[in-house]
Amino acid sequence: MRGSIAAFLSVMRTVVASRLAYRGDLYFSMLVTLLGETVLPLITLLIYRSGASFPGWSLSEVMLIQAVFMLAKGLAYPFFFGMVYNTLDRVQDGTFDVLLLKPRSALFMTLVTGFSIDGLGRLLGGLALFLIALTGVHVPGAAAWLGFIMLMVMSVCILFASALFMSGMLFHWVGSSRVYEIHDSITAFGRYPRTIYAKPLQWILTYVLPVAMIAFLPASTLLGRANAGLAGAIAFSVVFLAAGLLFWHGMLRKYSSAGG
Amino acid sequence: MKALRILRAVAFVTFKEWAAYRSHMLATLLVGPVYFLVQLSIWKAVFATQDTIGGMHITEMLSYYGIAAIITYIVFDFADWNFQMLIRTGKFMTFLLRPMSHRYFALSQKVGHRTLGFLLEFIPVYLIFRFAFGISLVPERLFWTILSLLLSFMMVFFINYCVGMTAFWLTNTGGIRSIFLILRDLCAGVFVPLSFFPDAVQHVLLFLPFQFMTYVPVRVFLGDYELAGYSMSIPAIVGLQALAVAVMWGVSELIWRAGIRRFTGVGA
Repeated sequence: MRGSIAAFLSVMRTVVASRLAYRGDLYFSMLVTLLGETVLPLITLLIYRSGASFPGWSLSEVMLIQAVFMLAKGLAYPFFFGMVYNTLDRVQDGTFDVLLLKPRSALFMTLVTGFSIDGLGRLLGGLALFLIALTGVHVPGAAAWLGFIMLMVMSVCILFASALFMSGMLFHWVGSSRVYEIHDSITAFGRYPRTIYAKPLQWILTYVLPVAMIAFLPASTLLGRANAGLAGAIAFSVVFLAAGLLFWHGMLRKYSSAGG
Repeated sequence: MKALRILRAVAFVTFKEWAAYRSHMLATLLVGPVYFLVQLSIWKAVFATQDTIGGMHITEMLSYYGIAAIITYIVFDFADWNFQMLIRTGKFMTFLLRPMSHRYFALSQKVGHRTLGFLLEFIPVYLIFRFAFGISLVPERLFWTILSLLLSFMMVFFINYCVGMTAFWLTNTGGIRSIFLILRDLCAGVFVPLSFFPDAVQHVLLFLPFQFMTYVPVRVFLGDYELAGYSMSIPAIVGLQALAVAVMWGVSELIWRAGIRRFTGVGA
């Protein structure tokens, strides 16, 4: 475990040093990710500005959900979401084999060599939006914060499982950057209150594709709102993560090492 | 005549080349409807409390998003990405040796790529919207809609090509492209109808070319046009769109002439 952490820190240092060699590009990249993420809160603002609203949700509460979504992505993208592009790139040009020769697990190597600091703009933006949204909502107390932190861990686990599914698909679906679009389209449901969806869809977003766990459940727990089926959602999130790990390893076994 | 033969040949080769990656395009059959389902849910919830928002009824709003989505499958291109890749790698040199304009070659490529997109993306998604979501996407005035779509096709190409040409001055245009794409889609009305923006912003958008990419063809499809308090007849707005395309062609020509003088052909 200590060795793994040391290896991760070593890679992080190298990545940071190499990116700082092109500071301008790094800052620009961070700005781009931040801009990209602020589009949706801006649209939400325009909707509320026009006098409309999501029934039962104030602007600050919806912003809080979107801020939590940004925070979750801001944590996921630098630390492990790079494994998706890493797999896409390496499988396509045939260099994934190099990772298989390293004296550590293939998953660890795929994850660690995909570390990227470019997504930090998203994390900072998410944090800023989160603080702004907090000024307009009432947080019940310490228990709400504790529940929120626990569910944020689950949220990051869901995104890790998503990265595993996407990365696993790329062993077979060589070079397809469209996995990102598929992921973004499905997770788009998670940027809004779950209650706006039809009941069957709510159930799917909680127990089949646990998108609600990314932002809605942590944010509504922080707001002190009752969440029906929260325990089941947590249990299924753990199942989803296990399924992601099984899927990734299963796909790795089918990897034929031909390049693309 | 020769120009048409070139267009047909390049388009056909591009069509065949991309047909090898059918599964990549077919991902649209999932992505497009899923995004639309999100929009459908959002607007149904929002309209539950009032009849009109931003001057639109729910049926108009859903039609707007449905049309905006399928228009993308007709006008999409990546001329910007392609051009900067050719400059960065030095491969652009090979195009300067060919007896044809690179811009025309890129436009021909787009024709081939979008022909495939029309078959694998536009038609299936159109049918999904029609039969799964019950969104009837029938243009109010077919002739003007087709004309507006063709002009939008050209407008997207010229704008993207101009962005790609920034590679003459910048080694890596990735950041510029990403920022531009976000702002472009926002100002084109992809994310939300332009009538939702504050009046001052709408007045600025009125004089930018981006509305002619998505907002105008969608409004022509719907049969009326209004922005920043200005209403126009459909033939008038399509005429204005044609003028904007001609201006963008001129801008692309000016950038080309300025940029080609800087090209050294070493790649990066």
